[in-house]
Amino acid sequence: MRTLSKILFTTALFGTAVTMAITPAAAQQAAKGSVITVATIGEPPTLDPVGVTADLVSVITQHMFETLYTFDREWKVIPLVASAMPTLSADGKSYTIPLRTGVKFHDGSTMTADDVVASLERWTKVSPRGKTTASVIESITAKNGSVVIALKEPFAPLISLLAMNNGAAAIMPKSVIDGANPVKSFIGTGPYKLLEHKPDQYIRVTRFDGYVSPEGPANGYGGKREAKIEEVRFVPVPNATTRVEGMVAGQYGFADSLPAEMLPRIKGASGVTPVVVKPFGFPLMIMNSKAGTFANQAVRQAVLAALGPSDMLTAAFGDPSFFALEGSIYAPGTNFYDADSAKGYNQNNPKKAADMLKAAGYKNEPVRIMTSMQYDFLYKMSLVAQAQLQQAGFNVDLQVLDWATLIQRRGNEKEWDAFFTYHTFVPEPSLITFVNPSYPGWWDTSEKKAALAKFNTEMDPAKRKALWAEIQKLFYTQVPTIKVGEFYNLAAATAKLKGYVPMPWPFFWNAELAN
Amino acid sequence: MLAYIVRRLGGMLLVMLIVAAVVFMIARVVPGDPAAVMLGAAATPEDIAALRTRMGLDQPLLVQFVIYLKQILSFDLGDSIFLNRPVTQALAERAELTTSLTLMSVGIAVAIGTPIGIISAVYRGRTLDQATVAFAMLAASVPSFWIGLTLIKYLAVDLPWFPVAGYGPPEATFLERLHHLVLPAIALGIPNSALILRFTRTSMLDVLGEDYVRTARAKGLPPKVVILKHALRNAMIPILTVIGLTTAVMIAGAIVTETVFGLPGVGNLIVSAVLRRDYPVIQGALLVVSGLYVLINLAVDLLYAVVDPRVRY
Repeated sequence: MRTLSKILFTTALFGTAVTMAITPAAAQQAAKGSVITVATIGEPPTLDPVGVTADLVSVITQHMFETLYTFDREWKVIPLVASAMPTLSADGKSYTIPLRTGVKFHDGSTMTADDVVASLERWTKVSPRGKTTASVIESITAKNGSVVIALKEPFAPLISLLAMNNGAAAIMPKSVIDGANPVKSFIGTGPYKLLEHKPDQYIRVTRFDGYVSPEGPANGYGGKREAKIEEVRFVPVPNATTRVEGMVAGQYGFADSLPAEMLPRIKGASGVTPVVVKPFGFPLMIMNSKAGTFANQAVRQAVLAALGPSDMLTAAFGDPSFFALEGSIYAPGTNFYDADSAKGYNQNNPKKAADMLKAAGYKNEPVRIMTSMQYDFLYKMSLVAQAQLQQAGFNVDLQVLDWATLIQRRGNEKEWDAFFTYHTFVPEPSLITFVNPSYPGWWDTSEKKAALAKFNTEMDPAKRKALWAEIQKLFYTQVPTIKVGEFYNLAAATAKLKGYVPMPWPFFWNAELAN
Repeated sequence: MLAYIVRRLGGMLLVMLIVAAVVFMIARVVPGDPAAVMLGAAATPEDIAALRTRMGLDQPLLVQFVIYLKQILSFDLGDSIFLNRPVTQALAERAELTTSLTLMSVGIAVAIGTPIGIISAVYRGRTLDQATVAFAMLAASVPSFWIGLTLIKYLAVDLPWFPVAGYGPPEATFLERLHHLVLPAIALGIPNSALILRFTRTSMLDVLGEDYVRTARAKGLPPKVVILKHALRNAMIPILTVIGLTTAVMIAGAIVTETVFGLPGVGNLIVSAVLRRDYPVIQGALLVVSGLYVLINLAVDLLYAVVDPRVRY
């Protein structure tokens, strides 16, 4: 027994020593005050924002890389690396983009028009968004300190595409781009530069002293950018409860993507402020318009009649302040919102659906719906959808897969009939995935093609809004996808964080930490 | 003994070759595609196919396997698809954490399991024994993630004695990083202590009934000497076996605890690699872990000879 006492005493002594040893460093950390630790949902697949559209990559890399244009708080395009909005030729086929002068890269070199040309050319070859645009681009050239993009035909979404921060047309030095794909060094023009990356442990970005900010007051992602916090440290914390507890304990300065049910815990903690981001995203049930049972439009219309997004959203998010029953692809308050063309949403009418199924000639073929537990809200809403579809007479084969398997399978039209996913808010409709005919689901009818061509070549914003309503009307007639509703993102910030502007991809320039 | 070690190491090479082949096949038989994961939700099948070509994933499986075997034979585990670094470097970066966490949690498990197991056996059938058995049942049945979250709530948030998660900021000293491992080590150590406790108790009960223990008692030796010298030493072989197995399992098996505490350990590396289908990391990490597993078992076998002179190799 004396041996046991010795062990216990030694353990207690060791614990006390460790606790005492940690205190000075913790105090030092607090005293420094210019480091914010941001708990993210995981490790990003890359730090090159051009080739991928993962939101996590955008959140981190937007501090390091900049695009020619960006979005203000009302989601209007404004200049970032460009010095002004482009000059458009009379036929709408040539964009002349003036560039800011004296912009520095993180390696100390000064940005030139050649760097921008090389970056845009890489974007057209590597980025999913750039590749979509490549087919309408004739040439990209440097001219008197500006960049000229010549098009084969007018293409209205171009500037919005250049402003996106994922699949981004990020400006990098030509020397970094030449002969390296993927790029080996991450050098941009942003207010922060990469300091250190330890996979699964942290990504440190630190203030870039040579940063040259755009003019004008801060506005959304644009305007004046100032790195007031010396270092932003992105730490992968996959467990959501740990992210919340880390915030409550003061270990993190910001935590992203928290479960809605954690709101009371965050509200009850001192020194922590909940951050709700609206608009944020919309869950989708994408249907296979190319092959299988759902290739029949009448069957897809029966799905629309059968589903009740109200129940699906409640099951997925619980707290009604974190979702909205909204059929318009764009939420109220955004530029492309249109309720009139969203008729048919939230019917939850099994009898009508059953009649429609009968008329469509459905013969109880199994419909394979893919979902994943990796996104808990998608899994929960897919269970409700399964029950509602079964009630209408569908023979549902709900396949619960890991996300990697799901995104591989969805590439083969023979392997599935529908899958659940979600889309983060994008300010330009042509950036929405299911609008792209190559995106799994393959919505590519002649009517949609014609409507989209009109929309993409129309330059007048008011007319574009009306044309988008036409596309949305087709969306509810041809039913390539079910928009389940709107959901909002819950994040948490330390009460010391001042000047933080909630946006879908959180950023920390212009924000500061109060002592 | 040297001949025995050489023979075991030779067998280990065969085991690792089999592991290499099995892991290679399983990683590719499971559906999922690293290119699709890397490119994100908006990627089209054409984008994914182009990236697969660039990564060499479109080559026939046999060609990929031959390339992989050549790499292994030249002690090269390949480069991670996602981490932008060699697999050996990724493993080396996690070695400190995993080694520290394994040693701390095994230490805790042994410190709790062995003495309580001995006490339980000595006081067989009494209240103390029943209490320890109940503790063992409880410790074995409570999941480690629950223990982890409870420890976070009480010892990191309510009483801010320990950090909630992570392995310390970049400027942290080794001691500060160890401080980050205390709660995870307890969360891992408690369930494993139950196993060690039960083995110690059973093994001690067997030995305490032996004639030589009765003789030792009859000689008038103090109970402490009888229990710790005569009984425990002879009961050590099964206890050592279970400690060795626990250690080996913890190297890559602390996945849930690592996830709860946001620790970048080897378990976390393997799970992330599986979710991303990062084939070189899955293959390399499992190869190294299986090698360590064999080595730990060899070390345990050699320790048998130390605690029991009758065992000879």
